[in-house]
Amino acid sequence: MSSIVAYHRPNSLGEAVELLAESGRSILAGGTAIVPEARSRRADGVELVDLQALELDSISESAGRLTLGAMVRLGDLATDDRSGQLINDLSRRELPSAMRNQATVGGTVASASSDSVLIAGLLVHDAEVEFHDGRTSPLSQVLADGTGGAIIVAVSIDPTGTGSIVATGRTPADLPIVAAIARSTDGGTRVAITGASSTVVEVDPAEPSAGLEPPSDFRGSSGYRVELVDTLTQRVLKAVS
Amino acid sequence: MEISVLLNGTQTTTSVEPHETLLIVLRRLGLVSVRFGSDTGETGSSAVLVDGRLVNTDVMLAAQVDGHEVTTVEAFNAAELDPIQTSFMVTGAIQSGYSTPAMILGTRALIDRNPNPSEADVRDMLSGILDRETGHVKPVEALTRAAAVMRGDQTEPFEPVILEPMTNGSTPVDVDPSDQPPDVSAAVPRIVPSPDVPEMSVVGKPEIKVDAVKLVKGNAAFVDDFEDRNLLTAKVLRSPHAHANILDIDDSKARALPGVHAVLHYKNTPRVKYASGGQSYPNPHPHDQVSFDDKVRHVGDRVAAVAAETAEIAEEAIRLIEVTYEPLPAIFDERDAMLPNAPVIHDEPDTEEIFDRERNIVHHIGANRGDVDRAMAGADHVFEHTFRVHQVQPTPIEPHISVAWLDADERMVVRTATQVPFHTRRMLAPLIGRAVKDVRIIKPRIGGGFGAKQEMLIEDIAAHLAIATRRPVKLELTREEEFVSSRTRHPQTLTFKTGVDSDGMLVAQDLYVIGNTGPYGSHAYTVQTVTGLRGLSSYNCPNKRFNCDVVYTNIPVAGAYRGYGAPQAEFALEAHMEDIAHQLGLDPIDFKRRNWVKLGDELDIAPHLGERAVAEDELDEYPRVTSCGVEECMAQASRAIHWHRHADPEWRQPADRPNIRRGIGFAFCMHGTAIPFLDMGGCSMKLNDDGSFNMLIGATDLGTGADTVIGQIAAEVLGVKLDDIKVYSSDTDITPFDTGAYASSTTYISGTAAKVAAEAIRARIKERAAKMLGIDEPCTIELRDNKAWAADGRSVSLEDIALDSLHLEDQEQIMGTGSYVSPDCPPPFAAQFAEIEVDIETGQVTVVKLVMAVDCGVAINPMTASGQVEGGMTQALGYAHCEEYAFDDEGRMVNAELGPYKIYRADEMPDLEVYLVQTMEDSGPFGAKAVAEIPKDGVAPAIRNAILNATGVAINDLPFTPERVWQALRADS
Repeated sequence: MSSIVAYHRPNSLGEAVELLAESGRSILAGGTAIVPEARSRRADGVELVDLQALELDSISESAGRLTLGAMVRLGDLATDDRSGQLINDLSRRELPSAMRNQATVGGTVASASSDSVLIAGLLVHDAEVEFHDGRTSPLSQVLADGTGGAIIVAVSIDPTGTGSIVATGRTPADLPIVAAIARSTDGGTRVAITGASSTVVEVDPAEPSAGLEPPSDFRGSSGYRVELVDTLTQRVLKAVS
Repeated sequence: MEISVLLNGTQTTTSVEPHETLLIVLRRLGLVSVRFGSDTGETGSSAVLVDGRLVNTDVMLAAQVDGHEVTTVEAFNAAELDPIQTSFMVTGAIQSGYSTPAMILGTRALIDRNPNPSEADVRDMLSGILDRETGHVKPVEALTRAAAVMRGDQTEPFEPVILEPMTNGSTPVDVDPSDQPPDVSAAVPRIVPSPDVPEMSVVGKPEIKVDAVKLVKGNAAFVDDFEDRNLLTAKVLRSPHAHANILDIDDSKARALPGVHAVLHYKNTPRVKYASGGQSYPNPHPHDQVSFDDKVRHVGDRVAAVAAETAEIAEEAIRLIEVTYEPLPAIFDERDAMLPNAPVIHDEPDTEEIFDRERNIVHHIGANRGDVDRAMAGADHVFEHTFRVHQVQPTPIEPHISVAWLDADERMVVRTATQVPFHTRRMLAPLIGRAVKDVRIIKPRIGGGFGAKQEMLIEDIAAHLAIATRRPVKLELTREEEFVSSRTRHPQTLTFKTGVDSDGMLVAQDLYVIGNTGPYGSHAYTVQTVTGLRGLSSYNCPNKRFNCDVVYTNIPVAGAYRGYGAPQAEFALEAHMEDIAHQLGLDPIDFKRRNWVKLGDELDIAPHLGERAVAEDELDEYPRVTSCGVEECMAQASRAIHWHRHADPEWRQPADRPNIRRGIGFAFCMHGTAIPFLDMGGCSMKLNDDGSFNMLIGATDLGTGADTVIGQIAAEVLGVKLDDIKVYSSDTDITPFDTGAYASSTTYISGTAAKVAAEAIRARIKERAAKMLGIDEPCTIELRDNKAWAADGRSVSLEDIALDSLHLEDQEQIMGTGSYVSPDCPPPFAAQFAEIEVDIETGQVTVVKLVMAVDCGVAINPMTASGQVEGGMTQALGYAHCEEYAFDDEGRMVNAELGPYKIYRADEMPDLEVYLVQTMEDSGPFGAKAVAEIPKDGVAPAIRNAILNATGVAINDLPFTPERVWQALRADS
């Protein structure tokens, strides 16, 4: 009768993989998204596999890259000195305080929300997603193709460079209607856009809205969002130049 | 499964189900400080500390905390209050207190991590706990103060700052641009005293709320905090269609489900017509609702209800009810409702007194003074503007909740979150086939209402199910249900037409409104009446006319929302007057001032509108303004906002930010204080052995501080401390009648009732004291400092008088009663300013600062009064700027969550500044007028006029969301 019929807390990655091999089971990271979604689901029989015991909640540096464990809380990422100002800022913007203390890096990436400023920040920081089987994929590919049922164990980023966000929303802390997030390094500038496609997308800074067909909703029409993409990209490029 | 948790310092093992949230389990364990606000973590009212971090228990499974440490505010509930709890009390940071425990826990976590948090840190922590009541101003102060206390810093007493008046009370002054407002914390009440107001002992003091201790401790106080044996849970099946006939309901599968005790719908529930708006007898027609109908008229309308052993079983039963619908065409926009081909929403024959059923016009309202047509024809200038205002929701953090049961005498008892317990008792009785005497309504603490709970919204469902099952039944709305099935502000289309003479004086003013009530009348008549009243009261004009068509549509039902028709009218009026001034080449403030109502002026449209309306030729005399502090409000607020900048082009167009335009806007505000000849409140008091008093009042404290303010009034009369008055409010079996918490009436009406009761008891105390002191003239006795004093300096304590009267000689219970209905409706006035920035490339408007200076007469408690203004302005900010209902083409709300709907958080607020300008309103208790609703009136037009000041573009539709502003800027260019 209930939509969540079992709770599992594996103690090893192998155990987690084994549990998730069964159909009808989903990963539980922080729970901010899946708990309300599963509880309101009309179908029966969801089992949740909680990854909290897998020790995936650390941040480490290696070979110039920063590895964010999948279970790192956004609240921790918001204050982590090694992650850089932009990632700190975007982690704070992603959710209000109490939710931020629960939500995780892996859960955020798995959600693939087109409005996620943190995903956009990870994208321009050259994020690679690491899976339980040792595979790694560029974040852009994971956003396009999904995780394929694999467990995200970490997201690695290049923390260097100068970053900025420029956004338009109804209020200062509102989920942006469109946001442009940029990071500039010696190798060039990368720009990612939220709210302008079915996922967060990295765009050509010279032609940011080329090929974009944003969805319309009550917060902004497609045409308006296209205008915002061009305007905000110009501004964010200026901010990081 | 079993979980083991270090819960408030004690290792605790308990059984949980996999689907159960931590919220459910903690409440089951008796930790009632953890409170439901949503299923999505958005409100933060359920937040606790897990391993020292603030998290939301409504989006965390109980199983997730197995092996962890969980802390709730009950952990700190020693006999002595914690410094954090004390700080929340002394700074006035508590209104309803529903989410206060979460804020206290968040404060503790923040200070543990950072003993010296910045304001940004404080606001960031509070971002996770939505507050619909305080405007976040005083909680920020409480948290900052708590940190200072815990660091051992010296702190000054938190007291109001008294300002020098800038005017003589009536004459405008030019504010020197170099003159600076006082540099004090935003949370500190700023009071501009009046020489007409005498010094008092308790009235006018920032007394701590009488319910503060139980609220900071998270003690059982709200509807859901009390344990009911054998409680069943109710759920409601709601319509997926905006408009449809129900051809059949098959409930057999639901009834067969184990654990289900009742399934109710139109086929098994008596069809008794009613109107759900909580209003005085007789409730305005049409009575267009029944508990369960065979037709649905909006998405979210009731279809059936279930009572079951658990919420999960009830939800499953709801899914098993099979309903056969016949979908019908629907209409959503009020401008379409009257068209010839529009579907008829109320075609049932048993709803009577619909003004024009075929055109969906539920009411036509008209009022008139003078000859508008003739005056308009002779005017030197005529201006006409049309405005559209949208649908928004009060969104109290505590959703609607009722628990109903039959008591030992088989009477129906409903403990419920309501603003109108006495109306609810009278309205509920016929629906459940009982006499009024066999219904009891109990209102405990309420987690905010703002009008949404001025409605008998769900009590009938809980009561029907309690009768059907003969067990207690709880019905609590989800946040989504709160959006789609509760009550909202009426959308309106308003057209103002005004004639002006060559001197800039108004000669005729005509207002036509189309009001959208959704599918049920509820407050349709009275809200739109207030729109006419407020739209045509603020400015003197010899010829005025109001016409209004209120129409049915298929949007969620409109009803009462703080302001009650005034915010719509004030937006249109203040925008219209602003545009007239610009078109005439006049300074808007000069033009408005020339025409606005002043001390002694007639309130000329008021008698022609409302439940007690009279025609012009039936009226002997118009009521007049008897107190008005608007010029002092203007001076204080203009200085605070630095008004002179509005005319400075260099400030308006900052050189270093080419895409930004800045502006300041103004709105003149005038509201009402209670409904004359209608609103009534009662109070009874008795003297106790120790010289304290029990006070019983029907008034309904929703978190506003009404219990405190009314207690202060009685304490002032009786010469005792507030703590000597023990206030109990709103239980229909025990307390006297009160119309309820609405119409800005509580302090003025219920407060006067308390004053009358206290004066009665005072008179008897004086007689006893005179006898005990051997004095012939009791009138020479004075009460102060808990004693009765003779003119010669001798005294007898109230305790001795009480012991004498109760136990020793000529025994009697000294008690007093009072009730009050007012012939007057003295208007509070205010000056509202807004400073904004517009991004002209994106349309994004950023509100930088809001300043409101309010003449509310004498603020009985400046802490609660300033809190009312801060919270009201913040709600009004949402109305102007971001909140809105959004629907798909089928009438389904697409943003029925608080984030997408968007209410302001602590970390994005503009600066707020409040000034309380005293005047002595002789008709009010100790000089008081209203303060609760006027903050809702001026923010939208002030922001609109600020956008006009910044960009030259007038926008006549709300809210000022980025694309709307962007479109307007593009159209203008």
